[in-house]
Amino acid sequence: MKSSIMGLIYTGERDQQLRELTNVRAVAAVPLCSRYRLIDFPLSSMVDSGIRNVGVIMQRNYNSLMDHLGSGKEWDLHGKRTGLVILPPFTTSDNVGVYAGFLDALHSNLNYLQRSKEKYVVVTDTHMLYTTRYDDMVAAHEASGADITLLYTRDPGMKRLQTGRYLHVEADQTVTAIEVDPATPRLDCTYMECFCMEREKLIEMVDTAVSRGQYHLTRDLLMNAISNHTMKVKGFECTGRAWHLDSVQAYFDCNMDLLSPEVRANLFPADRPILTKLRDEMPTRYFPGSSVKNSLLADGCIIEGTVENCVLFRGVHIGKGAVVRNSIIMQDGTVSEGAELDNCILDKQTFVRPNSRLIAPRSYPILIAKQMTV
Amino acid sequence: MLHKKRCVAMLLAGGQGSRLGILTRHMAKPAVPYGGKYRIIDFPLSNCSNSGIDVVGVLTQYRPLELNAYIASGTPWDLDLVDGGVFVLPPYQTGASGEWYSGTANAIYQNLPFIAQYNPDYVLILSGDHIYKMDYDAMLQHHIAHNADCTIAVRQVPWDEASRFGIMNTDKDDNIIEFEEKPKNPKSNNASMGVYIFTWEKLRKYLIEDENDPNSSNDFGKNIIPAMLRDGQRMSAYSFNGYWKDVGTIESLWEANMDLLAPVPEIDLHDKQFRVYARNLGLLPQYISETAVVDNCLVTDGCVICGDCHHSILSSGVRVDSGAVVEDSVILPGAHIRSGAVVRRAIVAENADILGGSVVGEETGNIAVVGIGVVVPEGTKVAAGEQYEG
Repeated sequence: MKSSIMGLIYTGERDQQLRELTNVRAVAAVPLCSRYRLIDFPLSSMVDSGIRNVGVIMQRNYNSLMDHLGSGKEWDLHGKRTGLVILPPFTTSDNVGVYAGFLDALHSNLNYLQRSKEKYVVVTDTHMLYTTRYDDMVAAHEASGADITLLYTRDPGMKRLQTGRYLHVEADQTVTAIEVDPATPRLDCTYMECFCMEREKLIEMVDTAVSRGQYHLTRDLLMNAISNHTMKVKGFECTGRAWHLDSVQAYFDCNMDLLSPEVRANLFPADRPILTKLRDEMPTRYFPGSSVKNSLLADGCIIEGTVENCVLFRGVHIGKGAVVRNSIIMQDGTVSEGAELDNCILDKQTFVRPNSRLIAPRSYPILIAKQMTV
Repeated sequence: MLHKKRCVAMLLAGGQGSRLGILTRHMAKPAVPYGGKYRIIDFPLSNCSNSGIDVVGVLTQYRPLELNAYIASGTPWDLDLVDGGVFVLPPYQTGASGEWYSGTANAIYQNLPFIAQYNPDYVLILSGDHIYKMDYDAMLQHHIAHNADCTIAVRQVPWDEASRFGIMNTDKDDNIIEFEEKPKNPKSNNASMGVYIFTWEKLRKYLIEDENDPNSSNDFGKNIIPAMLRDGQRMSAYSFNGYWKDVGTIESLWEANMDLLAPVPEIDLHDKQFRVYARNLGLLPQYISETAVVDNCLVTDGCVICGDCHHSILSSGVRVDSGAVVEDSVILPGAHIRSGAVVRRAIVAENADILGGSVVGEETGNIAVVGIGVVVPEGTKVAAGEQYEG
């Protein structure tokens, strides 16, 4: 069936919060849960919702994101008629390359929106981890006759001090209040930086806003629309688990949360696979004398030591006598013989020398940058 | 007219592999799973990909559905090409007639037009029966250097097993002077691996002649090779020394899996320079729970392991519940070993469900097998060597 929905993923802003993890990559390309990157979740949810036309707006550090997405083959988005459309920043008289805000980014890619044919568009940021049915969201949007429908969650764990966008949503899903970056959130719902509306209306809205010097969706546009009732703003609740990956600690906790089978079942619905770029690795080898408890492991690992409460990515090697607890070790990391790690995050291709000790408190995990030797 | 190719590969994948019993009742032997996430056919296909051969015809006949779906467009092996790629070639009807592939040589004969499209210099003939990593390009260089009409890959086998194989007797320059099929008193232990490179014009000539001979059984080993030897064609042996294992029986399939658990396996599947590709199912990472014991095992994507696993291969999406025991076994994709079940020295086929209180296999004796999708009810005992179908 032809889909009436297109998707747009914005990978631009606030990529400093995850420190070394995002020095080398966009937030959307941050690896998590052994074999995924953040963008796999909105992208797979979109594909699963029948969306066949997905634009990805790139901003800084998009090299590894490009590498990950490729032609979109893994998500069946390498079609001839529709598929993945990469929208890197480019400089023209209308496009300065560095976007002043979300609306500015959309404005610079109006051409893509204009030449797409779908009636509705789902737009999402990539700082939140969740899975949802975007087609249900659009169906609710259509039924309610709203101008714009915002995805939100009532999960109290999503609230932050000083940062975040919060909503009050009535029982009929009408959004009656919004607050942006409050010191203490007062409203009960967290806006998940994802909305849907008619494509033509979005083009109109973005053009009007940017021509008046408004660049921020929430601060400049939604706030005004909600308080002055200039737009009919509705909400759509994401009832599954969600995470806001806005700090290294949040990233660490999210990975540890995913060690729980119940939490994983919630984020990864059985009938809706999360797709990702593949790497041909052999199955993981557990040597005699190794011990693994409560851990997630990708293929291609070699385990000779002890691993407890860990998330290991593809091609990780844990040497003899090494003890790794409560840690995240990304692709091709090596923990040599006799090393001891607790509460660590090792970015890709890090090397821990024999008998090293890296012990951190749970509340402040050690983060080792990509390709470092410790 | 397609681009000329130097070498085209033809992979014989039509056999049932009847000695694999219930494992090949619903699929051809090359589609049988191996090593946790592979199928047998991944090895010749990956070898082609790693050897720079980009046209592969796969000849199917017996139960082709599984194999067709698995190969599909050839993407996992980088064989989804505009100029070449992998092609599944089933038997077909021509005009009033039409026939099944009556032998290995006949299967290639029927597809001469496919090969001719590429006007190759050489044709590589493969089978989907073995686990091995081989650079066919090195063999092709040997073929060219020896100015051969046919080169046959050979591997030394233990002398006491030589009488089970086709044995090549060679002179000091690797020329084959004699070929003996399963000789009682072998003169050498150079066994044919069933991997042949032919110079295209010679292959065509001999296949046409063989087809016109009503007494021929249309087989490479029985007819084509002996005929070429008789005519004094240049036949060369190419020695291969790497791991090579026929997985034609339940015992050998089990052994080949167990070979991967050696302290240093003879076949290195970790080698990034020569990867073995497989279709990836995109499952979740494997989860090893608090209650699990995973000792000397290979475990892959989608597994949820909560029980005791020793010296075993756990394939994609296998579940071993807390309180279940798996030892010296090969658990194929999607199988579920429930709490209280014991599986020893067994092959548990795809999506089988072993309920609590059942015992599959024994500590000694032959390998027990549970069939595809079979439920083993509570309290069932499956004896050593038994093939259980419910």
